[in-house]
Amino acid sequence: MRRKLSLLLTITALLGIFAGCSNLDVVAKGSVTSFDAILTAMGDKVTADEMNGGWALEAPDNGVKFIWSEDYSKSPLHDVMLEFDAAPFIDAGLDTDMLPDSFAYYDNKLMVGVKLGNDALKYSGDVTPLKSYEQIVSKYRKSIGYHTSLDHYNVAIGDGNLFEWAKDMSVNAYDNSAQDKDIVFVLDPAPFIAAGVDPNTVDGWAFAKVTVDIDGKPTEVDKFLKPFNLK
Amino acid sequence: MQTQILPVGGMTCAACAARVRKAISKLDGTDNVVVNFATEKASFSYNPDILRLSAVKEAVAKAGYKILDAASADEDKARREKAVRVLWTKFIISAVFALPLLYIAMAPMIKFVRLPFPWGLNPMTFPLLYALVEIALVVPCVAVGYKFYTVGFRALFMRSPNMDSLIAVGTTAAVLYSLWNTFQIAAGSFGAVESLYFETAGVIITLILLGKSLEARAKGRTSEAIKKLMGLQPKTATIVDPDGAEREIAIDDVEINDVILVKPGAKIPVDGVVIEGGSAVDESMLTGESIPVDKKEGDKVYAATINANGALKFRAEEIGADTALARIVKLVEDAQSSKAPIAALADKVSGVFVPIVIVIAIIVGLAWFIGTRDLEHSLTIFVSILVIACPCALGLATPTAIMVGTGKGAENGILIKSGEALETACKVETMVFDKTGTITEGKPKVTDVIGGGDLVNLAASVEKLSEHPLGLAIVAAATDIAEATDFESITGMGVQAKVNGKLVKVGRAVYANADQSIGDRLADEGKTPLFISIDDIYAGVIAVADTVKPSSAAAIEKLRGLGVSVAMITGDNAKTAAAIAKQVGVDTVLAEVLPQDKANEVKKLQADGKRVAMVGDGINDAPALAQADIGVAIGSGTDVAMESADIVLMRSDLNDVPTALKLSKSTIRNIKQNLFWAFGYNVVGIPIAAGALYLFGGPLLNPIFAAAAMSLSSVSVLTNALRLKTFRA
Repeated sequence: MRRKLSLLLTITALLGIFAGCSNLDVVAKGSVTSFDAILTAMGDKVTADEMNGGWALEAPDNGVKFIWSEDYSKSPLHDVMLEFDAAPFIDAGLDTDMLPDSFAYYDNKLMVGVKLGNDALKYSGDVTPLKSYEQIVSKYRKSIGYHTSLDHYNVAIGDGNLFEWAKDMSVNAYDNSAQDKDIVFVLDPAPFIAAGVDPNTVDGWAFAKVTVDIDGKPTEVDKFLKPFNLK
Repeated sequence: MQTQILPVGGMTCAACAARVRKAISKLDGTDNVVVNFATEKASFSYNPDILRLSAVKEAVAKAGYKILDAASADEDKARREKAVRVLWTKFIISAVFALPLLYIAMAPMIKFVRLPFPWGLNPMTFPLLYALVEIALVVPCVAVGYKFYTVGFRALFMRSPNMDSLIAVGTTAAVLYSLWNTFQIAAGSFGAVESLYFETAGVIITLILLGKSLEARAKGRTSEAIKKLMGLQPKTATIVDPDGAEREIAIDDVEINDVILVKPGAKIPVDGVVIEGGSAVDESMLTGESIPVDKKEGDKVYAATINANGALKFRAEEIGADTALARIVKLVEDAQSSKAPIAALADKVSGVFVPIVIVIAIIVGLAWFIGTRDLEHSLTIFVSILVIACPCALGLATPTAIMVGTGKGAENGILIKSGEALETACKVETMVFDKTGTITEGKPKVTDVIGGGDLVNLAASVEKLSEHPLGLAIVAAATDIAEATDFESITGMGVQAKVNGKLVKVGRAVYANADQSIGDRLADEGKTPLFISIDDIYAGVIAVADTVKPSSAAAIEKLRGLGVSVAMITGDNAKTAAAIAKQVGVDTVLAEVLPQDKANEVKKLQADGKRVAMVGDGINDAPALAQADIGVAIGSGTDVAMESADIVLMRSDLNDVPTALKLSKSTIRNIKQNLFWAFGYNVVGIPIAAGALYLFGGPLLNPIFAAAAMSLSSVSVLTNALRLKTFRA
């Protein structure tokens, strides 16, 4: 009995040591590394966004931006958001007045996002796009996700809207079975369809079924996708 | 050769029993080796001149098992109960960890129901934490199931894999593969979180522990009858010293010829003969007969029977292992340790089953991997095949039914001496009954009195001086016997004597100046007429007959209902035999057969291709009992009958004969059902586990369901065997 107990204790201790020595939140840790790689790859497409008090990562076709705040106490509307051209949606039948309140329409652009909090974020040293992203990871970890089937990280922008990027731009899918895009802007099509959009005719956005993880469950849903390869 | 029965520890399945049997059989000087997984006992004959028991123990130990110390009934019971308790505790511990493990593993996969799930364990968000929590939950399951690994891998390394080997290999493969994927997660391949199978290992261990616990419980219940018998004997006896002093001593200290006092309500401690007092004694625990039997001086009393209303003093004649109870227990134990021929196939299969299953699992797993290049899919199939294969059910199918069947028989006063007897009994086509003492009471009685006056008392007064059995019947029927003088026995004619000054003759018609036709009707009825004359004037007839037992006709009718033809064998003349046969309804009468020719008559019936059972009292019928396919001794468990017969009926009630046959048929039917289930589980389960359904678009068997099916197979076989407990005569 004593032997069994000591074996059990040893295994538990080993687990403890393993857990202690490792950063258990490997997704959060990996997302920072890969986001940094994306920022580097995007080069001048990553800019300061003064209007929203943060940083903007603009798609290579300039049709959509992922914006994240550097200080939530100062964000005017959202802390993480997508800003994209309204024209393709209007051309596909969108009545902007029918969009829910989470959407803003201005200057022929649409914006959708989420307010994460009102914290005055503190930084050591210069404020950089990566450091602002790290604030999301450390303070609002729930916003960071991992898309298993595509081996993508993502930031949840609320209501099923996402910004995704590849964990490893050279090998995207975790089992090497598929090569996917390096960044993907993802919109939930439901409010657009409700506002009159014919989802199959939105120029520049693919309307597709994708498998996402909802509460840990792989679930197939419809999405508008704008994917890009950076390398 | 000596016969030895030893308890064996460490056997977990039928393959283990096969391994132990092989180890003992290999030794020079052993024979008839039977290892019973259900009773956990090895029975064998050995020649003590060339083999020591220690060598047997060594051989068993070398095979990875242990000969346990012979235990008393109480110790054995305590050992089994402890084993059940330990298994339940292990199961509960394992379940406490396996259920949350199963939940966190499965809840995210259930598509249509949103089960509450802690965000902090979301496998897609915190894959490493999720994996480590699964490890933390599976470790206790593996720890409590450590015996599967120690026993299973040891057996595997000794090239005699058993059921534990299958569990050990299957769950180890699942755990190692999952650990590898945990390291993959830690290294950044988060998708590997979808390839964790810790819950498979944890739940398999839990389900197998549950199955083993239920199995151990059910196995305990199969031997309840024998335990009940063993627990009957009192622990102490009150002996009466020559000076009249009474003292209580331990049962083991009682010696032959000790005078023992049994007070009303107390149990009789050993076998003996009543020397003082009288009482009714409840012998139902030995004979199944619920009506107490009156005992007086000179009557035999048996250990464990209960003295009802009067104090009895008796002299101890059989003690210890020689009492009727001990012999019955031994007989039932031997029967339960024996194998029925029907078990031969299952034994052969279970001996090679596990290695074959391992080979099948490897080949099929590899084939799937080559065909699909999908390691997880192949691993799932590999583990499922190992886990669903169940040699236990095969090993339990026959012995458990025999244990319950023979136990049930013992409860009803029907002692079936071996599995072979049980199996043969259900195939009996012709039942031959000895007449005297079997169909009839065996004691002639006065049945008719023709003639007036004090005829019976007068005849009894003469017959009292005779030793003729027919005369004894008249004496027994008399109420007032007078003193007789000038007694004379005239061979072939009868007896005579003077009673109250009158010459009374008792005998044949001509001897008593009677008309023979008066007795013809009585003779036609199988009765013996004794004519009486007083002073040479015919006075009347007393008919004496060996009466048919009240149960005989009904029992024979029941046998015919079972499709068995019934014959009666007797040394009586054809007329008497025919009369008795008519009363009880037998199909065939074999009359005027000398005792030594009874066996030949049985042989003749067998020569016609019939399976013959012989029912007799076991003394003068011994050769016929031995010649028959099944010998049934009736009336007592205390005499030579127990040695010569295959089935011993403790009561003289012939209804127990059809009951024994029905019990045998029920038990064999139960064994066949068990074997069907046991083979069916494996024949159907292994191909499904191998992906046979998946190949044609059906589902792939989850190893967890495989483990549940495997546990269910053993439990269902045991549950089916326990149904025999509800057998009604």
